[in-house]
Amino acid sequence: MPGYKSIDRIRTVTASSFDRLVLKGEGPIVVEFMSYGCAHCGVMEPELQQVAEMVESTEKIFRVNIAVDRDLADLYEIQGTPTLIMFLNGAVVGRDEGPSPEVSNILALVKQPYE
Amino acid sequence: MQIKEQSAPILLFNDECGVCRSIANWVKKQVQATSHGTSLVVRPIGQDPEELQALNQGLNIWDAYATIHLLMPDGSMKLGGEAVAEVLRHLSSTRWFTWTFAINLFGIRPFQAILNLAYTILADVRPVFGCESCGTPSPWVRPIRWMVKWVASLFGKSHHASPSPHFSSLPGSGRRPQAHQI
Repeated sequence: MPGYKSIDRIRTVTASSFDRLVLKGEGPIVVEFMSYGCAHCGVMEPELQQVAEMVESTEKIFRVNIAVDRDLADLYEIQGTPTLIMFLNGAVVGRDEGPSPEVSNILALVKQPYE
Repeated sequence: MQIKEQSAPILLFNDECGVCRSIANWVKKQVQATSHGTSLVVRPIGQDPEELQALNQGLNIWDAYATIHLLMPDGSMKLGGEAVAEVLRHLSSTRWFTWTFAINLFGIRPFQAILNLAYTILADVRPVFGCESCGTPSPWVRPIRWMVKWVASLFGKSHHASPSPHFSSLPGSGRRPQAHQI
């Protein structure tokens, strides 16, 4: 899985930083609920890193590791991984579970709610 | 980042996968029985990328979950079938036949090649044994998985069929994946 090892463009948020970085964050924010043991998340990782680079001027992309932050997973009714939830000024404006791991598809998913 | 010094090889296993956990438990028992746990360390990969890199700077957590890794005391890593062979060399119950993995015929190590193939097959069939987090089954495994599910359904064991092939349902989750814009 090349392409994600050099720079990690997706910052990990935890239960303690979620409120400050996501709910009180300004503008479009995408949160990937994932786990490192989820092979689908591993397949999507390089594509999501590319998308994060493409949208970094307009959107922030974070990850929540649900194996660590189970309370956040429960709060957002996460049924599996990867799940993308799109926030705008703290409110949920979009959601996708198990997106097809192509850059074009993920890019469309993370842009559509904000158009 | 400070690298932790190690005196014994460390076997990393995926503790979210039942098959991997069973094999790791077997290895642990063998190690405990023969060397009181000193010849090999067996530990789950876990969820902390930085903690893993403290063991070996070249180790990426996604790679660790993708294939079996054995971290050697000299800083090198053995992967896949090579890692399995090295683990077997460290167990007294299996050490006796591991010399075969070194046999080299015209540049090919036939027994190591068989072991590599066996590892690949085992890794591929993990989804058949219910490891959803292990990813999309290889094409050759899909009919087997479908048959296992069909047989299970005959005995009243329902399987949650995910409409998205790129989604790992959490245990106990009954709701289907959804894609909607609010």
